[in-house]
Amino acid sequence: MQNAFTIDNLTYKYPTAKADVIKGITFDVRQGEIFGLLGPSGAGKSTTQKILTKLLDGYNGMISYFDKDLKKQTNAFYEEIGVGFEMPVHFGKLTAIENMNYFSSFYKNKANIRELMERVGLWEHRNIKVIEYSKGMKVRLNFVRSMLNNPKVLFLDEVTNGLDPKNAKIIKDMIAEYKQNGGTVFLTTHLMNDVEQLCDRIAFCVEGTLGETSTPRDLKLKYGKREVKVEYHENGATEARTFELDGIGDNDEFHSLLKAKKIETIHSGETSMEDIFIIVTGVGLK
Amino acid sequence: MKNIIKLTLGEVNRLGKYKILPISLATTLIWCILFFLITSDEAKELTPLFLFADIALMSIILLGASYHLEKQEGTIKSVLMLPVTQSEILISKTIASMFLTLESAIITSIALYFIHGITYNYAILLAFVLVASVAHAAIGMLLSLYSRDFSSMLGILMTYMAVFTIPALFFGFGIIPEKYELLMLISPSQCVYTLVNSAVMNEYDAAKIAIAIGYMILLSVVLFRFVVFPKFKRNSIEI
Repeated sequence: MQNAFTIDNLTYKYPTAKADVIKGITFDVRQGEIFGLLGPSGAGKSTTQKILTKLLDGYNGMISYFDKDLKKQTNAFYEEIGVGFEMPVHFGKLTAIENMNYFSSFYKNKANIRELMERVGLWEHRNIKVIEYSKGMKVRLNFVRSMLNNPKVLFLDEVTNGLDPKNAKIIKDMIAEYKQNGGTVFLTTHLMNDVEQLCDRIAFCVEGTLGETSTPRDLKLKYGKREVKVEYHENGATEARTFELDGIGDNDEFHSLLKAKKIETIHSGETSMEDIFIIVTGVGLK
Repeated sequence: MKNIIKLTLGEVNRLGKYKILPISLATTLIWCILFFLITSDEAKELTPLFLFADIALMSIILLGASYHLEKQEGTIKSVLMLPVTQSEILISKTIASMFLTLESAIITSIALYFIHGITYNYAILLAFVLVASVAHAAIGMLLSLYSRDFSSMLGILMTYMAVFTIPALFFGFGIIPEKYELLMLISPSQCVYTLVNSAVMNEYDAAKIAIAIGYMILLSVVLFRFVVFPKFKRNSIEI
């Protein structure tokens, strides 16, 4: 599979800063995958995204976009990428549909605005000024904005932040559908729920460096405890016992417990993504 | 070219939606009402000052307000993500700014004609207004890019006014003697006054006009090429 982005030894320093904010990171984003860049505030996630979307230049290192130097990409690059910002990016005094029509008018490959707005539940509110939208509606409109040009690569920053579970699910379903249709997603987030449900691979970003890059499943296997915890009912109370996962098929004690007791829950010793983040980076998510 | 047209139409549309155009029209209307209250000679004397205020001051303030509002709303980031060049964005902003000053010059000229029957060479005035507007769009962008928000931009503008605009106003009111006009052309505001005054009064001093136009063009090129263009993108994405 071809890489959508290949980032090799990327370093970046803001002109007014003393030190590099990105310190020699190397990773790739494969075509057709959802790649998650995780990290606390100020870790360098947004800066990395700004560099990859050509909002920031003057970086060191090599970035290739479908095997071509990113620096040599013309403005046609923006025909191919969609960017969903965390913060609202719409003209407040224009209605949602005026905003969408305006931005859409610049693209050659136009998505169906009505279809997108209907999916996220904004079509009936299309004639309302964006300034009157709630935070959740603005977040959904940001997502529609990012999809206006049927992009090849989608950059999403905290895409479900501020959404209720129902609308968050709609957006996540649309992202999964986009991926199924061959799209590539670069997701920056601190929401572990999104990561677990969406990402094929993730990288941890902290203080301008990258920690481990892997799949959520492999990380859970690597950092999770290989054990099974059984909760059962005994003498009017809930009791619990933990067994080693290795050789559990031959563990008589475990089997007897399952047969003899009234089992309430059985859990494998999976570690949460947040715990893994703390283990890998040594800092908590903010 | 298609992108410039789309961007400019968007800018002009927003001038209306964000009440910038109505404010500019209201200011012009005040000048027009004043014309009813004064004599023909007084109107002719004051017109260059009205146009001067629109080009040298109002255009900077309105451009700054528009830029900082767009930055605050994050819409500049969204525009930078479109398949358009930075030059096209800046050109459209400059044209929108020129639109405001032209609107003011045209309405003022119409009012002068109908109220006092005053006419002058409109083509020359138009050309002078355009040249001065581009330079002041560059100055407006410069002040916007070097300020954190609109309030701080107004602070910088006060300093700019104290150095450039108020002396030009003093000249317009005759407080500063005419013999200093050539020296004062170092001020962009004075250039505006000299150009507009020449067109309205039909008094053309070739040397002064050449200096004023040359300076406006040079200022536009230098500011856009070496200050505004390199700083615009970075500044626009800063929170």
